[in-house]
Amino acid sequence: MTKIADNVNPNVYEKGSEREVTSSERDEDVVDEIDSREIFDLLRNINDPEHPLTLEELRVIEERNIYVDNKDNSVRVYFTPTIPHCSMATLIGLSIRVLLLRALPSRYKVTVEVSEGTHVSEHAVNKQLADKERVAAALENKNLVQIINQCVA
Amino acid sequence: MEAIWYKSELADEIIKNNDIFNQTQSIIADVVSGKLDITVLVENMAGVLTSKEVEDRERGMRFFTKVLKEIPADYLTEMQIKFISKFYVDRLKDNHRVIPAVLEGYLSVIDMKHYNVQSSGEYLTALFREVACQSQVRQDRYNIYLTIQKLFIKNVEYMKTLGPDFVYGFISSMDGERDPRNLLFLFNFLPNFLSNIPLGHLVEEMFEVISCYYPIDFHPSPDDPAAVSRNDLAAVLCPCLCAIPEFAEHCLVLLIEKLDSNLRVAKIDSLMLLAASCKTFKYESYGPFLKALWSSLHRELTHKTDEELKLVAHDALSALVSKLSTKAETDQSFENFVKGILISMQSAIAESLTVIQFMEAIKILLTAANTSKQSCILIIKAMIPAILAYYEFKPLVKLQISCLDVLGDMYEMADHWEVLGEMEKEVNEIPQLCLTAVSERAKDYQVSGFKTLIRVKNVLHIDLVLPFVEILIYNIQQSQDSELLSVCVETVHAIARKYPELIMTLVVKGKCDLENLTQDKTALQKRLDLLSNLASIDDFTKIIIEEMLKVITTNDEEASKVVKALSGSISNISLYTEEKVAQIESDHGLISSIMEWLLKSILDESHESLNHGCTLISNTICSLPPEKQSSILSKHSKAILEKCDSNEMYFLILECLYRSTSPTIYDTNFKDIMGLALKLALNSDNQLLRTKACCMVAHFLNKAQSGPNFEILNEVLKSYLTSCSRDNVNILPRLIELYGWITKALILRGNDLFQFWLSKIMISISTSECSVEASEAIKIIMTDSEDCLNTRHHCRTSLLYRQRMFQTFVTLTEKLGPPNTDSEEAYYLSWGYVLEKTPKSILNSQINKVSPLVVDALVYDNKELLKVMLDVLIHFVQSKNITVGHSLQTILPRLINLTTYVKCMDVRIKSLQCLYEIANSYQTRLLLPHKQDILIDLAPSLDDKKRLVRNVAVKARTRWYLVGAPGESKED
Repeated sequence: MTKIADNVNPNVYEKGSEREVTSSERDEDVVDEIDSREIFDLLRNINDPEHPLTLEELRVIEERNIYVDNKDNSVRVYFTPTIPHCSMATLIGLSIRVLLLRALPSRYKVTVEVSEGTHVSEHAVNKQLADKERVAAALENKNLVQIINQCVA
Repeated sequence: MEAIWYKSELADEIIKNNDIFNQTQSIIADVVSGKLDITVLVENMAGVLTSKEVEDRERGMRFFTKVLKEIPADYLTEMQIKFISKFYVDRLKDNHRVIPAVLEGYLSVIDMKHYNVQSSGEYLTALFREVACQSQVRQDRYNIYLTIQKLFIKNVEYMKTLGPDFVYGFISSMDGERDPRNLLFLFNFLPNFLSNIPLGHLVEEMFEVISCYYPIDFHPSPDDPAAVSRNDLAAVLCPCLCAIPEFAEHCLVLLIEKLDSNLRVAKIDSLMLLAASCKTFKYESYGPFLKALWSSLHRELTHKTDEELKLVAHDALSALVSKLSTKAETDQSFENFVKGILISMQSAIAESLTVIQFMEAIKILLTAANTSKQSCILIIKAMIPAILAYYEFKPLVKLQISCLDVLGDMYEMADHWEVLGEMEKEVNEIPQLCLTAVSERAKDYQVSGFKTLIRVKNVLHIDLVLPFVEILIYNIQQSQDSELLSVCVETVHAIARKYPELIMTLVVKGKCDLENLTQDKTALQKRLDLLSNLASIDDFTKIIIEEMLKVITTNDEEASKVVKALSGSISNISLYTEEKVAQIESDHGLISSIMEWLLKSILDESHESLNHGCTLISNTICSLPPEKQSSILSKHSKAILEKCDSNEMYFLILECLYRSTSPTIYDTNFKDIMGLALKLALNSDNQLLRTKACCMVAHFLNKAQSGPNFEILNEVLKSYLTSCSRDNVNILPRLIELYGWITKALILRGNDLFQFWLSKIMISISTSECSVEASEAIKIIMTDSEDCLNTRHHCRTSLLYRQRMFQTFVTLTEKLGPPNTDSEEAYYLSWGYVLEKTPKSILNSQINKVSPLVVDALVYDNKELLKVMLDVLIHFVQSKNITVGHSLQTILPRLINLTTYVKCMDVRIKSLQCLYEIANSYQTRLLLPHKQDILIDLAPSLDDKKRLVRNVAVKARTRWYLVGAPGESKED
């Protein structure tokens, strides 16, 4: 394993604060809708495959790039690779996909895409991530599952 | 027959017969008793010692060595030892097979009492000339080292006279040593040796021999029973490398080289060596290396992930700076070094984007500053203006807030080194920045600004007081945030200690307008809170307390607010010491005024404000000395006792008077009050009064001194209970509550009578009518209550009462047997209350008894019960209890059932939490059979209506996905 990381010295950003528990969240009768912040909280702690940093610290994931529609039951997540030629983009996207698959109710249709104009092979990556067959096939690969599990753990 | 050692046949015997080796004890006995002269013995051995066969000579030497080992150390004379020593020296020239016995024998010779150290020179010379140490086996090498160490301890001065030849001999004998145990021995001995024996021209050779082991990279074989670990060796090698100042140049070159290595242990060892070297090496030695050292240190100090490395780097930096500062007055290099640190850290601060990066640079500066007075002056003096300027650049909010905290740290450090005088101009700027910060709207700024101001209050200039006070008072009157409020009050308090007169005019008389306190009704309560807080400062006590008491006695409308404020402040022990409260009471008659107000308003004030008054009285009483207490009691109690006949509410006043008395106080009224309390506890229709009455009974029983006092009260209790009629249907629950309080009072004082009352409660648990009340009584016993039965009120509290309760509860439940179906739920609930509060270490020892109960209780539809039991279960799971592990088949479906418990989100959260802990704690083989079911069953919880539940559900489900999957990090 002598491969050197694509981006050796990425910019590191401040972590946001934890979501504060409001009194309405403690109230038994109020229904809390799933919102973009909640999905952001799910994803913020995914580890980067190259660095001991989280996707939040690298600003790969940002709250403003997550869209939730509770009527249509759809979730759209856009992520931003740290550099345009990042070879890890597919892996990061796959990790996000897998985590949402495990952590979101099945009623949602989930879309994970690279933010527009932030990666050289944006369309190829998006196509791969949208292809259910290919995602399922990837999850049959033990080595890949191991890396993904380490990222999302 | 004469024994063989009296004859010259001994020599043959030694050659032929192994048994003779077992008879040395008898030989020695004969020698010591004088029957056999040692010279004769040696003569008799002549044949074997001078034999032509190597094998025989070896046996002879072994035999002789054994004799010398066992002979008493003080028996041989100096002359005899001299000859033996000469003989042994001569034997060193013999065949290699003889050598081990010689080495071993000479060790015993050295230990002899009359051994003359002068003989050792000859031995050592022969040893180094004739014996190649590293060709010997491990034990013999050890014996050589041991010989040198023993001689060294025996006479250091003589060893010094042996000169370079001896040192050279020692160096060459340990050159190339490979055995970790021998190395451990050598490294332990070397620092002492090096610091005593002058090395002369052999410094470099010696250093080479030691440093070739550095850094230690060694792994003991796994089946070594007494393994020497790498860390043991590294820890003893380090002092050797820096044992004497002469090593400095070699050592520093070496450690700088190793600091650049890629090996983590090499870096850590080098940093530790650097820190240790500062104790022995001379100041001048570091000069040429400072640049290289700083660049290596800088790299390690800013390491991204390795905390341990960072920590040792900080230690090394601190040692180095403090070494350099010893010559700060005469030499430039200290100043240059510190300036180098300042420059690189300032640029790191300027580039930092996150608080972590910022704090990392600050920490390095603080470490360097905290080593000596000179470095503190240099760094803090430069950094305060730098941080003030950085703040103005408007970096992120979090960074600005960190700036404020850091300024406080720096001020305190300068204060610690007593160098504030040197940087007056700089520190005086800090309060100004605090003012800028608190002028922001955001709460975070204000809180940090005020907190820093409190720390630097001594340099607050008088001109700034007014603007601060404006903001503070505005906040105190307007803010709804409790954290901000308390910080503001604290700040006013801090400023008031520095500028009492100013605060008096500005705040007490100005903003709060003490003289017309009640004119302005808005935010009155908050002003009162502030004033009662300020009253704890001596300068303010008199004027504020007097005014407040005046309001209490004259103004009916606002009196309750004043009482509330006073009660809140006085119960804060850090604000009001016992002496202070006692002083206020004796100067101003606090209790009388409050009493007057209570008597007047008891029938129409709300329970809450009455409660504040009562707490105030009882808190004041508990701070007074016993004599004072009893004089207050005798003054008031008769009158109030009479009033109680007309209206039972007056009992509240009586209770608060007696609540906090010292245990030494007992008067004739106690019996009457006890009777009254019992009557109210059972017959009053007012819930509050009943509880207070129960507390009173409990306090009396807890505090009464053993002997007649206690007996009388116990008698009153018993006779009242036997005489009272049980016709009233309401009386039974009330009785059980009273029992609970009595049990608690007794168990807290460690009185065995508690078992009697507890068994009464236990019996009612198994009856269907009162089982719920009985479990409530158990709850009373187990939970701490704030205003009764604790040490503040001078009650007796035994530390281990919960353990005792648990043990007794277990035995009693065993006696009573299983509950019937009606009272089962209450039975489990009372178990729950007991388990909740029992220390977890006790539960672990009773786990087999407790865990089935916990599992059984999970099926009841009672949220209190479920919450408690789930907590206990989570504890068992976290401690990887195996009984629970084997009943997963039962537990998991029950937990899954609870994840959709509609009535209470806490139950859902705790059950999901428990599922998460199970996946985390138990071995994969126990979990894997359930994995698929659990994953499917957890899916609905992901869509729970409460966010908090969903969060835990996600945590549990993603954890279960990892069970047995590749990439799971688990030890087993």
